[in-house]
Formats: sequence, C-alpha cells, structure tokens
Amino acid sequence: MEATHALDHGHDHGPTTGLMRWVKSTNHKDIGTMYLWFAFIMLFAGGCLALLIRAELFQPGLQIVQPEFFNQLTTLHGLIMVFGAIMPAFVGFANWQVPMMIGAPDMAFPRMNNWSFWLLPVAGGMLIASFFVPGGASAGGWTMYPPLFLQGGISNDMTIFAVHILGVSSIMGAINIVTTILNMRAPGMTLMKMPLFVWTWLITAYLLIAVMPVLAGAVTMLLTDRHFGTHFFNAAGGGDPVMFQHIFWFFGHPEVYIMILPAFGIVSQIIPAFARKPLFGYASMVYATASIAILSFIVWAHHMFTTGMPTSAQLFFMYATMLIAVPTGVKVFNWVATMWRGSMTFETPMLFAIGFVCLFTIGGFTGLVLAITPVDIQLQDTYYVVAHFHYVLVSGALYAIFAGVYFWLPKWTGHMYDEKLGKWHFWLSTIFFNILFFPMHFLGLAGMPRRIPDYALQFADFNAMATVGAFGFGLSQLILLVVVLKCIKGGEKAAGHTWEGAESLEWTHLSSPPPYHSFVIPPNVK
Amino acid sequence: MEQAPRKTSFLQAARAVFWSFFGVRKRTDYDSDAVKLTLGQVIAAGLIGAALFIAVLLGVVYLVTHLAAK
Repeated sequence: MEATHALDHGHDHGPTTGLMRWVKSTNHKDIGTMYLWFAFIMLFAGGCLALLIRAELFQPGLQIVQPEFFNQLTTLHGLIMVFGAIMPAFVGFANWQVPMMIGAPDMAFPRMNNWSFWLLPVAGGMLIASFFVPGGASAGGWTMYPPLFLQGGISNDMTIFAVHILGVSSIMGAINIVTTILNMRAPGMTLMKMPLFVWTWLITAYLLIAVMPVLAGAVTMLLTDRHFGTHFFNAAGGGDPVMFQHIFWFFGHPEVYIMILPAFGIVSQIIPAFARKPLFGYASMVYATASIAILSFIVWAHHMFTTGMPTSAQLFFMYATMLIAVPTGVKVFNWVATMWRGSMTFETPMLFAIGFVCLFTIGGFTGLVLAITPVDIQLQDTYYVVAHFHYVLVSGALYAIFAGVYFWLPKWTGHMYDEKLGKWHFWLSTIFFNILFFPMHFLGLAGMPRRIPDYALQFADFNAMATVGAFGFGLSQLILLVVVLKCIKGGEKAAGHTWEGAESLEWTHLSSPPPYHSFVIPPNVK
Repeated sequence: MEQAPRKTSFLQAARAVFWSFFGVRKRTDYDSDAVKLTLGQVIAAGLIGAALFIAVLLGVVYLVTHLAAK
C-alpha cells in the first residue's frame, strides 16, 4: 500500500514548461495533442488547395491557374489529406484515448512515440515545400503512377522521400499501438471487454504494419527507376507500368480501411453514449471489423478495371468487392439498432455520428455501383468517382474525426465546448458538403473527367454549385477552430463523467482534464 | 480421450470464422467461443477460411466464364 502510495507521488508531476515540453515530450496526451494539431493544420493546407481547384472549376475555361499547376493542386491535395490530415488525426485519437480506455499509464514505447510524431512535420513540410522547387510540385496524381511520375522533376523525389518518412512514422505508431493494447491493459480488461475504438485501432494497426512496407517498396522502385537505371515500371526497358498499379493498390485499398476503421470505432463509442444503450452486437462489430480488414486485401484491382486484365480477374474482383458490403452493412444495421428505442439526445458529437451513418452509407452504395465492372469502365476517372470517395472520406472519416473531437474535447480540455457553435458547425458543414459533392454524381454520370481544369459548357451549372458548396464547407471549418480555441481557453467546467451514457474508463475513472499521468496504478476492471 | 475436445474446438473455430465473415455471431455461441477457443485456433481457421473464400469465388468465376462461353 505504501509502495503504491510512493509510486503515485513519484509520478505526480505536471509537464515541463515552454517549447521543450512539446519537442521532448514522451507523454501520450501531449503527443496526441500534437498529432491532432498537425492534422488540423494540414486539413486547412489541403483544404486551401481544394478551394483553388474549385475556384478554377467555378466556370469553364481557364481563369485562375494554369493546367500544370492545377495538376499539382490535385496531387498535393490528395497526398496532404490522406497522409497529413486523416491518418495523423486518427493516430492523435489513438494516442489520447487508447491508454485511457484500457487503463494504461502511457503508450508502450513513449520515446518512439515522440519520434513517430516528429517525423510528420518533416514530411509534411517537404510536401508543401515541393511547390517551390523548379518545375513545381508533383503533378501525376496522389497515386504516383508511372510513366508520368518517372518523368517529373525533383519534387517527385521529395514526394517519394516524404512518403517513405510518413510510412516509417505510421509503422512505428502502429507497432506502439499494437504493443500497448496487447500488453498494457488493466487487470480485468480482456480483449472482448475493450471499447470498440480500441478494437478498431488494433486491427487498423495490423493493416498498417502489413501494407506500409508495400507502399515503401513501390516508391523505392520508382526511385531506382528514376535514378539508378532500373526498369521496373518502364516499358521501354522491359518493365510494366501496370505492375506499379497492382502494387500501389495492394497498399491502397487496405489504406482506405485504415482511414475508415478508426472512424467506425469513434462512431461506435458515440452512438451508444447518446442513445444511452449498450452497442448492439458488440461481438459482431468486432468480427465485422476483422472481416472487412481481411477482405480489404483481395479487392485491390477494382481500382484498375480499365487498365487491362482478363475477364475472370474482373469478375473475381467485382464479386469480392461486392461481398465486402456485407460486413459493412452489418455495422450500419448495428448502429441503427443501437439507436432504436434509445433515449436519444442530439448533442454535436451525436449529430456528426448520425451524419456519418447516413452520408457514409451513400458513399458505400456508390462504391457498390463502381464495383460493377462494366459500370466502372464507363465511370472510371469521372466525377462520379470523386463524389464516391469524398462521401467516404469526408462525410465518413472526417465527420467521425469531428464527432470524436466534440465528444472528447471536454475530457481533453476540462471545459465544455460551445454547443451552439458546434451545432452551427454541423449543419453548415452538412448542407455545404452536399451542395459540394452531390452534384458531382451527376457530373460524373454525364461524363465529366476528373483532374482536368477546363470542361465543356454543359457541366457549368453543377460545377458552379459545387464551388459555392466548397467555399461554404471550407469556411464552416473555421467554426471548429473557434470552438477548439474557446474550449482550450476556458468555459463551463466539464464533469469527469461528462456524458452520462458513456461507459469507458476515461469517463468513469478520470477527471476532466485527466491528470498528466493517468492510471499510474491500473484500475480494476470488472 | 483427448482428441474429442480438440475436434470440437476446431469445428467451433470454423463456425466462428464463418459467422465472422458474415459479421454476425449469436451471443450464446460467442460466449462459448470466448471460453473454448484459443487465438491460434482462430487465426488458423481464419487463414483457412480466407483461402476457402477465395477458392469459392474463383469457382464461381470459373462457372460463370464457362457458362458464358457455351
């Protein structure tokens, strides 16, 4: 008893002050905060690129940017949003939440945690700096397809280097998360008692460890093709550019699930809390997540139906892709069943969670449409595809991030967020999001190609509408910035158990904000 | 004597994996899984299940392409 008392006091100190607190921090909460701020900054950076794209597309003809620069904008928008905003935001959530949710004092490898964060600004900075080198930033699309990517200037090497660094960071983060979850759970916290957010991150971390080396291999081959005389992807030297697409998408499709599984986890924490009912079918949610992760490895070629493959391969990938909708559908039904006859209230986190369920489902359905090979051959590289993946990644992944931020802000800062501003943020985002992306379905069905700065006159009205939606959506995100800053500065004190329907350890056992070192003595989980 | 429970657990692992591919598991069956199955069994059954799943899909593709050819 005395020993534990002494241990408790031994660790009862706050953070050091000044800049070095952040540079040298090994504290999971500090590192989580840095991940989240980094993601937020990159969200605005990638968002500004998107607004330039939409400004150019407001009218037919070329008004604001040259085609070469337009290609750089679309490429860097994709890279920054995927690797700089969505993925780091989820790792930020994992850093803050996983140790608190399993009753651990910190992450398993705190120094590696610091390192995996501090690699990110280097890579992010390099991506942004590539706009200013001779020839401008990479312009071959975020997928870095050869032969275009073999031909560009030094910015392509910067992109390859940045992707390598981001990959190393992700792998270190994933190893840290797996080790923390498997080894540092409090007594009584069995695997099947873990909150679903922890489960989804455990599975996501395994996916990351499996596929990031594949991406690293693909971009290394690009690098050696560019500089060391190899011909992996150069048809003139006996190589095959299509092979790059196969390798890239063997990474790329699980990557889609890396960006959505933690979102499933966040939503699965929020809906039961505001429906005041336990999650319907917890075990089936765990199984469905694992199934989705496994199936994500056998569907990659649906991204490349038009690049040439035998009919039998097209059929295989079409069937496999359509079947992945089954476990995903199970999840949607479970969220709806959780809400069924619950004592629901509609605070901002719940609004974003419900927005997620509705809009992500639309994105899922358009994914099913695109899974049908003959339809995909018509719609490949049209705005229908752009609409589809933005419904999945914006109203899917990003909405879950917003929901999670509102849900845990009181816990993180110790203050309640401004509910009125939160609701404004949700409604404006949702209205403008649909004005922005819904017309893109029609544009795509009518044949408008993506990644082109000019278009035929018949596409003008829907493009103008989308641009209005884009600026509305972009500006609405400033509300979130205000909400977060207000919440950090002060406001109504948040109770430890802020949401009475939430039952994970950070709510039931810790104050708001939690102590700098929480769960120095692990709780007993019943 | 020792063979019988092992056989049961293997079948149970196969059943658990089948239902997890669908994404659903009955509460009573899940509770019994949690007690009886080891992680190794589930992973082995999962890998076999994934291989079978791919084989079934390939079989369907084979049938479809050969029926279409007639």
